[in-house]
Amino acid sequence: MPPDSNAGRPENELSEVLNIGFPADPEAIGAVADAITEILIQLRVPEQKRLEIGLAVQEALVNAVVHGCKSDPSKEVRCRLQSDPLGRIVITVTDPGPGFSPDLLSDPKRQENVYADHGRGVYLIRQLMDEVSFERRGNEIRMWKY
Amino acid sequence: MGPAVDGLRQVFEESLGGADTRIVLNLAEVSMIDSTGIGLLVRFLASTKQRGGNIKLVQPSKFAVQTLRLVGVLNLFEVFENDDAAVESFT
Repeated sequence: MPPDSNAGRPENELSEVLNIGFPADPEAIGAVADAITEILIQLRVPEQKRLEIGLAVQEALVNAVVHGCKSDPSKEVRCRLQSDPLGRIVITVTDPGPGFSPDLLSDPKRQENVYADHGRGVYLIRQLMDEVSFERRGNEIRMWKY
Repeated sequence: MGPAVDGLRQVFEESLGGADTRIVLNLAEVSMIDSTGIGLLVRFLASTKQRGGNIKLVQPSKFAVQTLRLVGVLNLFEVFENDDAAVESFT
């Protein structure tokens, strides 16, 4: 991550649209993802972009709940959605877990991984969003859609 | 993730316990497939192929096709416009 990675996207132009915490229960993910989709509709985000953001958020929420919190509902996952005057969207998902190093993830498109039943979530997020970074100790993902 | 994937997993497990190896999966009502669903789908495909069968996809949404392509598994499946064409492809 270069030190000037936020160049061109002034943080002070971002407006917070949603900032919620929810128990790390897999059953809660659908409601949060639906709430974000509803907000994107209200923000008049075009359908294709909305689908891409929606799926990326779903993946990030699953990772936070299942991997970050081991589906322990006594733990809390936070999700924040911000937008700027240009219509750019940034979504941040944070869990209290130990984090991970995204560089260690294997490429799901490699031949030996094609039939694997896991390991595509972060790859998919990176494909669907315009910019993705992992903050803190890898327990916070920040996803931009321009 | 969620009830949809749980339902699909149950259908797959029941199918693997039976004699069916020629599977037609109609995705017309599925707007989005996440990585959990994709993992389930490819694992089931692998098991079905090991038993000499195959899985044919019918009417996946444009976004589902895009997602399967993004993660490099679209080419594992044959895709059809309707159930009849998918069934016929097995004969």
